[in-house]
Parts: sequence; C-alpha cells; structure tokens
Amino acid sequence: MLAGPSVRDVVVLDRTELAPGVVLLGFYAPELVAVTRPGQFVMAIPPGGERAATALAIYEAQGERASLLFFVCGARTRELAELRPGDTLSLTGPLGNGFTFAGARDVAIVAGGVGIASVLLPAQMLVEQGARVRLFYGARNVDFLVDRERFATAGCELCCATDDGSLGHRGFITELLAKAEDKPDLVLACGPSPMLRATAFVASELGVPAQLALEESFACGVGGCWGCVVPLDRASAQAPKFPKPAGEDGFVYARVCKEGPVFWAHELRW
Amino acid sequence: MVSDIDLSVTIGKLELPYPTLMASGCYGSGEEFEPFADLSQIGAVVLKSVTRAPRLGNPMPRLVATPAGMLNAIGLQNPGIDWYLENEVAKFAKRPCAMIGSVAAFSVDDYAYVTERLAARDEIAAIELNISCPNVGSEGETFACDPDLTGRVVRAVRAVTDKTLIVKLSPNVTDIAAIAAEAESAGADALAVINTLRGMSIDVHAWKPRLGNVSGGLSGPAIRPVAVLAVYEAARAVSIPIVGQGGIENATDALEFFLAGASAIAIGTANFTDPRIPIRIVDELRAYLAARGLRSLRDIVGKANVGFGSPFQYEGDVG
Repeated sequence: MLAGPSVRDVVVLDRTELAPGVVLLGFYAPELVAVTRPGQFVMAIPPGGERAATALAIYEAQGERASLLFFVCGARTRELAELRPGDTLSLTGPLGNGFTFAGARDVAIVAGGVGIASVLLPAQMLVEQGARVRLFYGARNVDFLVDRERFATAGCELCCATDDGSLGHRGFITELLAKAEDKPDLVLACGPSPMLRATAFVASELGVPAQLALEESFACGVGGCWGCVVPLDRASAQAPKFPKPAGEDGFVYARVCKEGPVFWAHELRW
Repeated sequence: MVSDIDLSVTIGKLELPYPTLMASGCYGSGEEFEPFADLSQIGAVVLKSVTRAPRLGNPMPRLVATPAGMLNAIGLQNPGIDWYLENEVAKFAKRPCAMIGSVAAFSVDDYAYVTERLAARDEIAAIELNISCPNVGSEGETFACDPDLTGRVVRAVRAVTDKTLIVKLSPNVTDIAAIAAEAESAGADALAVINTLRGMSIDVHAWKPRLGNVSGGLSGPAIRPVAVLAVYEAARAVSIPIVGQGGIENATDALEFFLAGASAIAIGTANFTDPRIPIRIVDELRAYLAARGLRSLRDIVGKANVGFGSPFQYEGDVG
C-alpha cells in the first residue's frame, strides 16, 4: 500500500530561475511522487523563519524527483527562492483533490502566468492516455511564458497569448479559447481569478465542461480551519453535506484546500 | 532522565498525558491533521465550535496575513448540533486523544441547550464554552465582555453537565481578572485564555476591507504578549487551571505561559506553519525540565515572579 500524504523534509536537487522572479525548485521526494495526482498541491514551510506555510502546486512528479514552480511575490516565496541544491525543505502533502479527466479525448488546458504550475502533470497524463491536448498559455510577455517548450515536447499543441504581443496573440488567452477551431470535450484551467472566470464563461458558451484549479489564501491547507472557502452549488458532489442554514441561497462554502482546489466551473457560485 | 518527566495535566475531571491542546477552529476535528501529526502525542483536540442551528459562515475572504500573525473571520460555519450529533461525533471515538467539544451560541438558553446535548455523548471528554468569538457581529463576544453575562451563561451551562467545563475568555476586555473570577464562581472548571483580538486590515488599492466580514480575529505571535499578560492576570484571580493560548510556536513561548500561570497550553495558528510543532514543543519541554532537574511541569506553573526569579542558570532558549 502506498503511503498517503504526510509532512516530510526533502532535499533540494536543483534550482532554476526561468524568468525574473519565477523559480523552479526540484527536490528528491520519491514518496511524494508515488502518491501525487495531477492538480494537487503541497504546503511548503518557509525555511527562514517566515510564518505560515504557503500552498504551491506540484509542477513535476516523476521517479524520485518532484518540483515546484512559483512566482516570488512575498516574504514566504522569497525564502523558498533562496533555497539552493543540498538545502532541506519541509513540505506537507500532497493535498487537495486534483483534476479528473478519465475518458477525455480532446482537452483544452488554459493556463495564465504561474497557473502553468498546476497543469504540466495533467497535460503529460492526458497525452499518455492518447488524448489531444491543446495548451492555451497566456502571460504578460514572452519571457513569462516559462517552460513552454516542455509542453510542446510532452506532445501538447501550444496556443500562446501575451499582454504585449511579444509572442502569439496580443490579448487574453481566453479569446483564443473562444476562437478554437475544434471544440474540445473538456477544459482544464489554472490562473488568475479573472482568467478563470473568463474561462468558465467561454466554456459554457462552447457547451464544454470546465474544471478550474482555484487559488485562495490558505491557513492550514488541510481542511482544518475553513478559511479558504468558495461558494459552491449545494447540489455539487463536492459540496459539504451540511444542512441548509437560514437565509442560505442554494450554496454552501466549500474549502478550496480540501473539497478543491479543482471545481467544476458551472458549480461555482462566484 | 528525559523520559521520566511528567507533563501530564489535570483540567477539572480531565486527565491529559500532555499539556498541549489544539485550539478550537484551528484543527478541524483532528482528522484533517491525522496524517501529519501523531494525535496520541498531544493532549487534546478542542473541536470547532458548534451552534444550535446550522451556520453558513462569513463571506470570503476569511483570512488575511498580517505582521507576525493573521486575521480570520470564519463566522462559525458549522452544520448545527442536530447534524453534528448524528454525523460527526461518533467518529471522535476513534481518536487517540481526548476530544473537547466547543459550544458557541447567541443566548444563554442556546448555550445550555447545545452543551447539554453535546456533553451527553461519551465521545466528548469536556466542553469548552466559546463565549468570545469576535467574528459573528457584536453578539458572539458579548458574553465574555461582561462579567454578569459571563456568570449567567456559565451558571446555566454548569447546571446541565457535570463534565469539565472550560470557559474561553476574550482579550477584548478592560479587566480580564474580573471576568475570570466571575466564571470561576459560576462553576467553570478551567479557563481558556485568550481568544483572538479584534482587528481589521484594509486594501489601500481597492479601498476595501481585506476580510469579507470587515473585522476579524487576530492570532499568531503578534498577540503573544497580550495573551501572556491575560494569563498572568487571570491566574492571580482564580484557582482553577488555565489553558494559555495566543501565538505559541515553540517551547520557549509555551514556557512563558506556564510561568505566567497556565497549567496547559493550546496551539492554534502555529499548526498552519508546521503540523509537527505541537509534538516538538512536548519534546523541548521535557528537555527544558530535565536540564534543570525538574520532574514535573507542574513545578513551574505560575512561577514567574518579579521579586526572585529562576533558581537556575540561563542555558539558552530551548526552542
């Protein structure tokens, strides 16, 4: 039997700065790799004394090595970015539900900015399953379309958009999704909230189901504090089965860390 | 011998092998943390508060990181006592540590009603009365901010259960000693000191409060000195045990609370940094006591004294 999620110290194997402030941190973690599903995340404990762990998607998970890909955007990620090969990092995970895509034949993956960190694993697995995978990848400019060659190598078709037109379509990535020639049978997305909302809209216009990997401020990351909630349709299979409180309007607050982070777009009541 | 050190505590009728409680609302029902912490090595889990009726909880965002801490405003999201008794409580029997139920309410009658039903269950080892939730309008905290109301609610609850009753006090008061004394005389077996401090954070770009509820409860190391003083003052006003809490991250922090007069501690926000912290604290407490030739944690409770300090030489921080 495989071990489940746990808290463990892992040794950093490699560190690459893919763009200014975008860090890829690889580490030795065969037990984590063995139990990771696409779309799951870890709580990374800041190594330098900064408080509260930070939630990061598991980017790669293969063999004995897993990695995190993140933007340096605050004190905690700054500490993580200072790690070097040989350093130790503490992680809790893998956590969350992950994407589900069994049987999908033609999948559009929409990633915005650092949202790319959640979608490599599902992209790889989908290609292995024989699905056609189109990656709709948007960022502020070409430099921040990090690691896109890897997706091409993995067998994905790439459609890129940048804010400044330095690569691909100038504008929003969701505009490319809306104009896609063949309708996919499933959309997976991770990125900033406005992009996710636009993806949900486009997917519903196309009549295609979409799964969105959400980001919220987490405290515990394991379902203990009910801080990272999102309003979810009470009828959703993921909705906590609590009785209906007075004044409630058909939704229940679900934990992004536990019931999510991946939700069906049409079930979110945001 | 480090292994001979006695860390056990007595809180009312409750005998716990370790002095470490997991603070209410921070640890779910224990189940969520079970893969990451050996619950047989903690004293007790204080469960998330339950109310009479189901509660939706506050709108998002519910969390904001602040200097040396965080604000939360969950708003007592919970399924209500009926559903809770039917679907949740039976699971607690399997936990390898004591499970302390937490009761919140908006009237004296509801405190008594929920407590009576919850305390009747064998899976529940004790009851913590949350009379100090800052995140449900003014009504949640009202009870802990008024000695008279504190007395009334504790008396009403005392009348419906013989189980150990821990009353959780608010720091948002002028004189915590007076409230502590009132809770004791009304029949509390122990006090939990303190709940979170009220606070607010504003997004200066959006010109909006960062919390959906506008205000929230501040926790983490930012509130530790406030909590240590509250424990110190409450401990001088009562003879019942105190569960000290507020920003404890390591054994040094915990020792401040014991020396201030706490018999046990609760760990909340620190679990969000690293779920191994509670067990690390226990190990470090043992080492601290062993290094000074002390056999029992009870030997240091309330020993902070301005007139004459430690009989031991300073040997560096333990955590």
